Amino acid sequence: MSDAGRRVTPLDAPITRIAVVGGGIVGWSAAVALRRRVPGVAVTIVATPPPPDALADRIAQTLPSTIGFHDDLGLSEDDAVLRAGGVWRLGSAFEGWAGDLPAYVHAYGPCGQPFGTASFHHHWLRAARAGTAAPFEAHAPAAMLARAGRMPIPPAGIVAEVQAAVMLDVPRYRAMLEAFARHLGVEVRDGEVATVRRRGDDGFVDALLLTDGTVVSADLFVDASGPRATVRGAIDDVREDWQRWLRCDRLVTADGPPERMTALDQVHATPAGWRWRTPTVDRTSHGLCYAGAFLAEADAQEALATAGATAIAPAVAFRQGTRPEPWAHNCVAVGDAATVIEPLDFTNLHLAHSAIDRIVAMLPGRACHPLEIADYNRQAQAEVGRVRDFVLCHYATAQRSEPFWRDLAALPDSLARTLAAFRERGRLPFFEEETFSRDDWLTVLIGQGTMPRRIDPLIETTDAADSDRAMAAYRAAIGQAVSRCPDLDAYFYSQRKRLGR
Amino acid sequence: MAATALAKLLPSRCTVALIESEAIGIIGVGEATLPHIRAFNERLGIVEAEFMAATRATFKLGIEFRDWGRVGDSYIHPFGTFGRGSGEVQFHHYYTRLLRAGVPLPPIEHYSMACSLARANRFGQPARDPQQIASTFGYAYQFDAVAFAPYLRRIAEGLGVRRTEGKVVAVERDAQSGDVTALVLADGRRVEGDLFVDCSGFAALLIGQELAEPFEDWSRWLPADRAVAMPCRTATAVTPYTSAIAMPSGWRWRIPLQHRTGNGYVFASDFLSEGAATDALLAAVEGTPLADPRVLRFKAGRRARSWVNNVVAVGLASGFLEPLESTSLYLVQQAITALIELFPEKRIAPVDRDEFNRLINMEYDRVRDFLILHYHATERDNSPFWTYVRTMPIPDSLAEKMALFRRRGRVVKYREGAFLDASWVSVYLGQRVVPTGADPRAAAPSTDSLVAGLERMRGEIAAAVGAMPAHAAFLADYCPMPAAA
Repeated sequence: MSDAGRRVTPLDAPITRIAVVGGGIVGWSAAVALRRRVPGVAVTIVATPPPPDALADRIAQTLPSTIGFHDDLGLSEDDAVLRAGGVWRLGSAFEGWAGDLPAYVHAYGPCGQPFGTASFHHHWLRAARAGTAAPFEAHAPAAMLARAGRMPIPPAGIVAEVQAAVMLDVPRYRAMLEAFARHLGVEVRDGEVATVRRRGDDGFVDALLLTDGTVVSADLFVDASGPRATVRGAIDDVREDWQRWLRCDRLVTADGPPERMTALDQVHATPAGWRWRTPTVDRTSHGLCYAGAFLAEADAQEALATAGATAIAPAVAFRQGTRPEPWAHNCVAVGDAATVIEPLDFTNLHLAHSAIDRIVAMLPGRACHPLEIADYNRQAQAEVGRVRDFVLCHYATAQRSEPFWRDLAALPDSLARTLAAFRERGRLPFFEEETFSRDDWLTVLIGQGTMPRRIDPLIETTDAADSDRAMAAYRAAIGQAVSRCPDLDAYFYSQRKRLGR
Repeated sequence: MAATALAKLLPSRCTVALIESEAIGIIGVGEATLPHIRAFNERLGIVEAEFMAATRATFKLGIEFRDWGRVGDSYIHPFGTFGRGSGEVQFHHYYTRLLRAGVPLPPIEHYSMACSLARANRFGQPARDPQQIASTFGYAYQFDAVAFAPYLRRIAEGLGVRRTEGKVVAVERDAQSGDVTALVLADGRRVEGDLFVDCSGFAALLIGQELAEPFEDWSRWLPADRAVAMPCRTATAVTPYTSAIAMPSGWRWRIPLQHRTGNGYVFASDFLSEGAATDALLAAVEGTPLADPRVLRFKAGRRARSWVNNVVAVGLASGFLEPLESTSLYLVQQAITALIELFPEKRIAPVDRDEFNRLINMEYDRVRDFLILHYHATERDNSPFWTYVRTMPIPDSLAEKMALFRRRGRVVKYREGAFLDASWVSVYLGQRVVPTGADPRAAAPSTDSLVAGLERMRGEIAAAVGAMPAHAAFLADYCPMPAAA
């Protein structure tokens, strides 16, 4: 094989210097991950505090992928969650999204177990049609744990696949990341980017001039500066706008007095958007995401005050959409610089982490060859498109009558196809890049009252009575397992005590 | 396969009528399969040892490619991984990094359990414990397709499939919708149906002759359009792998079964006559011929849609890709599985039909690129055929994949499809497409520690291979063919 070299082309030199712009949790996450996971790169961070509308830097609720991200960095849960002021969460309860239907829980883990030749949900759908089904979520260990406020401990047996996510204390988490970055030798620069200097011949970013007059040069620039995309935006501003589908463009957040911690946050649909409430360690987090065209800021703040919030921030404005090409030349956008999406389902930090993982896994050479960049953008776009579809699915299947909720624009093709396939016979089409599993999709669709027109014929090899018995047995097994799991409260404080806090 | 699967999995939904004509032969000349067939068989309730005995089957750990990159080369495309596949960075990045550094290493197949087992002519079931190196492979079968059909027929008839012997001579259709309503047989009988599955092979009686669904012709990339096939009595060891040996105007297969070895020369008639191909095959095979050479004609490509109106084409009626990577039955299975998952009502929902066509086309297109790679990634220049395929323009989708591998060893990622990362890596490296760079993360371990790790792995593999029985002994114990055979 050593003599096979004659077919190859000379390769560009490896990237050895990376500059990250943005001092929020997205920027620090990027700096830490690149420094830690790519051998031999020097990382500089321009730690400009993120603007208030950088949602991925501000939203405290994360998805279970955060824990995987920490694992890859070698960060333990003790450090990344407990010592940083966070607590676990298992999911959200959605209330008021579908007319008179009861609230449904979307928690992280599988729903049901397969038996016979058909998937679990086909058994459930048949029973639902016959009127004999228990709620879909009653077959999800994660949802039952979340409802009961218990933790999947020990992670074995029926609760083994329940995935915990995290409710961050954002300032302390950011400080933890910063300390870790400094420990790893990330060079930290304060100040802001004043000018992005680009090379004349190929348009690559050459250097950043900071407001203090200093210069940051690098082979690759990671833009985590928030929606204005200070660096990536200097190359082009091509953006795909989602506002015709995702109308929310304002967010008011607030804190309220502490309540008993739960593993489950409340996500209420409201006349012009939706509202969350997440009790956490020493406070309760509130937020109202809405469309400015349908609700005044004062009314939004009033709504949070009514819900029990005290420290209420002014509204921030945003406009949902994504960059079809987050990576251009030697600059890649992450977080809100790449995609602005409302925090429904709390995908903001997940998308940023996923982008960072993808940069690590697909790091090109210094020339940032167009093929490699195109491959990155293709994957990134596929992922983001399906996350958008999942969020949009809540609106597309909602049953509410206020003007905000009516007359949605024609859906993106991929979501239209998903809904059509499900409404026909309870099937979900295959996509290459899916953040949310089939059970996540089913939970939302079924929870919001979307039902297939017919029952899949594959189910007919199993007798309905057998299905009912198997489902009942599974529910009973979940009930038993859940009753043996510790309360979130008790578990959390025992873990903190273990750490001496 | 289609009739059995439909009757087994949708028993109350449909009654299946199978129209089969003894006058129409079975193309299969010995079928080499992919590991996916195991799950399919299991779903049909097929007992492995019984099925293997009935079809004189052997185990298959991969495909040996001889003389492809250059005359004299040989590599195995394994059903399994290289290395252990632990950690974030794939094994081949470390391996190629060491090669570039000038460390003398044996071919990458020495770090594959499947390849090593195959080369040693041994076989055993994979280990279940993922910590063990013996868990890092899968397997498929090589079996007699002519014996498989009656085996399935018995199962199908047991499930209530009505078999009708006869030849279709006319097709009745609804004037308004264009749907097929009935088939008229030579003896005048009519067979009515709501849904028609066209398994008529190259004839494509319904999808082609009747519905005239266009055929996308891929022969500019896959110019082979003939095969001459001839079984021989097995003369050498029954290998647990199929061989594909490059020939001046195509390639030759060798599929060892328990009782015979299937042979065939796949060639392009633009470059070689049928007579000359037959002579070349006769000269190349080992063992006593068991039948006269038989010529098959085909064209690479697929229907634009495999499901049109109420006709679903499965197998050769829907498309053809040469058996280089043993994909024919895989594509059949995928179509049957998709049909069952999307099984329609009497009124067919377009959303089901569209999804079926999307999935099937994706499968075909991905296999297509993988096959073209075998021809294009070569240094052979000793015949007009190889000069053509080496220099022909290839699909953009493949050109991008190859460029990404050449640059940094990146295998374009997808979740679904017959061939995943290790398959692409084996063909790239086996045919001398060598990356010039590696994943930067592979730069971390020191050369010494990597070399030591690779040595340990070879030792582990050698020990695991040594613990397994000879393939022939395993077969004799597990699934001997009936004495009468």
